[in-house]
Amino acid sequence: MTVAFKSAIDDAVIDELRAIVGDDDRVLTGESSRVFRSRVPAPFPVHRWADHMPDVCVLPRTAEEVSEVVKLANRLRIPVVPRAGGTGLSDGAVPLRGGICVDVKLMNKIHEIDLVDHTVTVGPGINMLKLNEELKRYGVFYPDDPASYPCSLVGGRIGTGGWSLLGARFGHTRDNVISMQVVLPTGEIVEIAEGGGRKLRKSSTGLTLKQLFTGHQGTLGITTEATLDVIPRPECEFAAFFAFEDYDTAYRTTGVLTKSGLATLAGVVLFDEWKIAYLRRDDEAYIPQPESVKAVVAVAMYGRKLEVEPASKEVMRLGRSLGGKYLGDEISAGDWASRHDRYATPLHGRNLDGQAVIMSWHCEDAALNYSVLPQVREEWHAIVKRYRERYGIFDDWGMFAYTNGAYKPWADYLVEIDVGIWEQKLDEETWNAWVNCKREISEVSLKYGGSITACHGATRAGDAELVPAEMGSAWPVVKAIKRALDPNNVMNPGKQSLDEAYE
Amino acid sequence: MSIFRLGDQKPPAPQRITDTVVMRFEHVFEVDPDLMQVTPQQAMPAWDTQRIVAARWDHLDWMHDHFADEVLLAGEPSETMEEHG
Repeated sequence: MTVAFKSAIDDAVIDELRAIVGDDDRVLTGESSRVFRSRVPAPFPVHRWADHMPDVCVLPRTAEEVSEVVKLANRLRIPVVPRAGGTGLSDGAVPLRGGICVDVKLMNKIHEIDLVDHTVTVGPGINMLKLNEELKRYGVFYPDDPASYPCSLVGGRIGTGGWSLLGARFGHTRDNVISMQVVLPTGEIVEIAEGGGRKLRKSSTGLTLKQLFTGHQGTLGITTEATLDVIPRPECEFAAFFAFEDYDTAYRTTGVLTKSGLATLAGVVLFDEWKIAYLRRDDEAYIPQPESVKAVVAVAMYGRKLEVEPASKEVMRLGRSLGGKYLGDEISAGDWASRHDRYATPLHGRNLDGQAVIMSWHCEDAALNYSVLPQVREEWHAIVKRYRERYGIFDDWGMFAYTNGAYKPWADYLVEIDVGIWEQKLDEETWNAWVNCKREISEVSLKYGGSITACHGATRAGDAELVPAEMGSAWPVVKAIKRALDPNNVMNPGKQSLDEAYE
Repeated sequence: MSIFRLGDQKPPAPQRITDTVVMRFEHVFEVDPDLMQVTPQQAMPAWDTQRIVAARWDHLDWMHDHFADEVLLAGEPSETMEEHG
């Protein structure tokens, strides 16, 4: 097997990289530069930090520079790990075999705003918040809205196949990227769209390659430019939170709301008892709530006022139709606004003695159908409880289920169980325990016909090894594509079990 | 004009809210200090607490403004806090 390996980087490679970008300050070999590009916010084996450091970081400014870097890596069989905001909740941007980290943050320009055909063309290093600050001047909006909205970047969203809080109304990342420029693992620069046409949203020519290049977790190339859809900026938003005394009523109310047919519905979220118990410890909105509040359903709508205003009355009716109680204007508007920015939340869990300890945040996500949510919830919590009681460094922060179908909110959910991990206590035994816990959670998703990840990506130990099982009879097709596009396995190797393509 | 008095900066005594939460300022909650033995708390003057709380509301308003021109509200009181109070 002639695939990428770690030890190919020497001074000659560094010199060649410097010659490509023509700027020594954009080829970073210092330890701090590499340490910062080793991990993402997700829990990390801090006791083995050095295993995940890139050997060198490059900050290109153009597609041509990216292309030359990748050609060099391909020639010398050096791993390449693309990195944008580094805000992922799985390990897409974490180097598993060292190599060259291609950090696209300097490719952050707006190249074109087209108000006639309603597109914006950007570099992959731009952040959605900054992009929308510019677009606001023109009355348009790019509606990709992750919980990392203030800090994640367009390139990472494309690589991850990101999920948006507003997906039920405006679609997710893949629905809002019209076309893109991609540097393939062999270094060629190609234009990827539905068919041809940089600004065409639908085509039936050839193969629909655009979907292949959104959500590959950096394993099929590096996006160097993207043409995005922009929508008329919403006139208004409306959010309403309803409390319930039991999960089942909240679950059924979620079903009522998502099947309401309201076109302005942007998202419905169901928080379970464990999530409410967690929020009741630390969140100012939930601490004063009475003990009778055991589950919460949140609804958000966006659009023209003439649509949203009458629809809000219907949401209030439906939210109460099975016994839900309105939580009030302050929590509805404030908590909803905070959903765009969960990365600003300080994270502390509780050890077995109830003491507050600083923990990192693991969101184990899955895509699941409405029908299986109650069963999955029971089994996931039971798994985390078992590991928490045995090891004492994990904490169950509860679950939520969030509408997942783009434009069709009625049956698919992004489901997450949030688990706190006391990273300072990690060692090989407890890290392996965590990986096993994660694998058990993912196996439950597969057992119920789900997908092991709706948005974060299956790139970490604990779920990457389950990708072949989930893909099933399509797995040979996946391997053939990877092998054809990346003959030397240089592009983000070790992710999603794609090494099997070279066996 | 507000006058800064050092003596006013000492946080008031906590009032218990739940088994694990106390409150020193209106609607500003803290984890019970007894549960902060592993992760020590930072001593914080009153002005700093109030600054952080005010900044939080500023942040939420700023975030709202990113997504829409206007925030519609149901305009109804909380039905859970009513029963609680």
